[in-house]
Amino acid sequence: MKQALLAVVLLRAAAALAAEEDFDASQFEKKPFELGGYVQLKQENFSLNRSAAFYKLGFYNQAQRESLDRTTETLQLAGKARHGIGTFDFRANAEAQRDQLGHDHESTLLEAAYSLRPAPGLSMEAGKRSLKWGKGYAWNPIGFVERPKDPNDPQLAREGFVMANADWISSPGGDLQTIAFTPVLLPVSNDVNNDFGASGHLNPAAKLYLLYRDTDIDFAWQGEGSRPARFGMDFSRNLVSNFEIHGEWARIGRFARPVSDSTGVVTTETGSAVSYLLGARYLTATDTTYILEYYRNGTGYSDQEARQFYQLVDTAIATGNNALVQKAQSLSQGSYGRPNPGKDYLYFRAQTKDALGIVYFSPAITAMMNLQDRSYQLTPELSYTGINNLELRARLFLLHGGSGSDFGEKQLSQKLELQARYYF
Amino acid sequence: MFDRRIQLKTLISLFLWFVALPAAALDGTQILQKVDRNLEPESYESYRQLTDIQPDGSKKVSVLYTMKKGRDKIVSLFLAPASDKGRVTLRLGDNMWLYIPDVGRAIRITSLQSVTGSVFNNADILRIDYTAEYDVEAAEEQPDAYLLSLKAKSGEVAYDRLKMRVDKRALLPLTIECYAASGLLLKTLRFSNIKDFGGGIKRPATLETDSPLQKGYKSVMQWSGLKKRDFPDEIFTLNYLPRVQELRK
Repeated sequence: MKQALLAVVLLRAAAALAAEEDFDASQFEKKPFELGGYVQLKQENFSLNRSAAFYKLGFYNQAQRESLDRTTETLQLAGKARHGIGTFDFRANAEAQRDQLGHDHESTLLEAAYSLRPAPGLSMEAGKRSLKWGKGYAWNPIGFVERPKDPNDPQLAREGFVMANADWISSPGGDLQTIAFTPVLLPVSNDVNNDFGASGHLNPAAKLYLLYRDTDIDFAWQGEGSRPARFGMDFSRNLVSNFEIHGEWARIGRFARPVSDSTGVVTTETGSAVSYLLGARYLTATDTTYILEYYRNGTGYSDQEARQFYQLVDTAIATGNNALVQKAQSLSQGSYGRPNPGKDYLYFRAQTKDALGIVYFSPAITAMMNLQDRSYQLTPELSYTGINNLELRARLFLLHGGSGSDFGEKQLSQKLELQARYYF
Repeated sequence: MFDRRIQLKTLISLFLWFVALPAAALDGTQILQKVDRNLEPESYESYRQLTDIQPDGSKKVSVLYTMKKGRDKIVSLFLAPASDKGRVTLRLGDNMWLYIPDVGRAIRITSLQSVTGSVFNNADILRIDYTAEYDVEAAEEQPDAYLLSLKAKSGEVAYDRLKMRVDKRALLPLTIECYAASGLLLKTLRFSNIKDFGGGIKRPATLETDSPLQKGYKSVMQWSGLKKRDFPDEIFTLNYLPRVQELRK
């Protein structure tokens, strides 16, 4: 009873104090320079799946392990410098990693660009920029000029490409509330954007955005160059205030796909690849958000094709044929080794805010399933953001699948991840 | 003679009845229109501090820079805390989006969510004119205040009904009770601390709220630097959200 009374007194005192203190915004006025970012400590425990194809390739001719503990320290800095109508901004990431196999460190300039705003509806910029196209939460088939998203961490900042781009915006009013056009030029040479595709091209791309009758619609295009030409579209709309639907569709012309048989003979199949995604997001009255997405990966491998590759790995390791192992390793570093190499995926996520009456405490569960081989990954998660500028997150990745299946052949069977991130 | 007097009385009564009905309805709408304009100019910029107070007394503070244009366009940029800095929320009528710099694109959000984890939801933080969202169902005159009963114009609005007590002299809200369609009281908003912001804007600088659904929690919103400012339409678009902070002077 005394504790309850004390709580009431404290609450009233705090509320009164907050109400009485006058808020002075002068300290938040725009400054010519800004610097911020975060430091992060991540501890991961991997349970390795010793019968999986990707484990066998990764630990070939190395000491065999059941588990691995990894510590990762990250510093991410983001800054801005302003002068007149121009702004320079950057985001850089430095990471140090240690586990029983060794240690490594890496610094990456994620973004650094100079932008000019000659008019409210017009901006132009040049530099390294991470453009994010598409409406999907876990995947973006129309993300033509960006590095792929990690569906296990879709909100993570990604490294951009060096490019020049512009943004023209108009608000005509009426049913067509907004039109925005974003042209992009992305050069590829031996020194610049060399992981985008074949060098010696200046790749054009563009996106047209419309807000028409409360529906977001994008049309995206990338011309022939370092990669085959592609085009697509997306949409997003609230059917009712707490129920949103979205979708993406993309077609790549003359997409070259290396396909291996179980003996290591690789044929390159060239043809058009159509990918699409349909999704929905629903918020309940109790503040639980559900996200459901179906992804058809037109560039992916069918269950049969994937099994041929896993058989190749088994044969290569069993025979000890070094040439075959190297071939399998090379394929595993390409399209077979993508986070989602299959053709059909289902993604589901449920997250509750302020669970168990604890404000800023959010448990969540995420499931990702390869629909063709029925293998899946379940990820329960707990996060707490109740301490100013501190984010705490714990996740457990549980991978399930039989021999020859997508999640059954990954290097891990389980991963526990603990992460603390402090913003400054 | 007697019959003629009755006829005259009936005619006068009928005339007054016809005149009085629309007049009462018109008064409520006019009062609400004045409340809208007394609270803020139609187009303005402002800084706001949101303080969320937990039952143990601990506080979480957010600072937002807000720009509004017309009756239903509003953008809010988070300046603090550091973990939310650079986030932008946009509202165009019933459509709401949240832009997160790390994610690099905007996602649709709903009016009942709270981007800050506050008792204030997105509809409170991105509030547009009351007359844009509500019709006046009834207006009642009390000794010091008007009591307006408001009904949402569509199912997209966060609260189905509002009961607004309006200061009779200043024509500014004193309290607003927010109800769900079921009749459940969702929260009460209490305005206080009338402050002269200059430029003819004199309005409450503090808004407190609590909710029977979140017992023991309280949120306080405080205004600073509220002033009239015109903005081009183009800034209230998804493509402009990464550059919103460049508009601050």
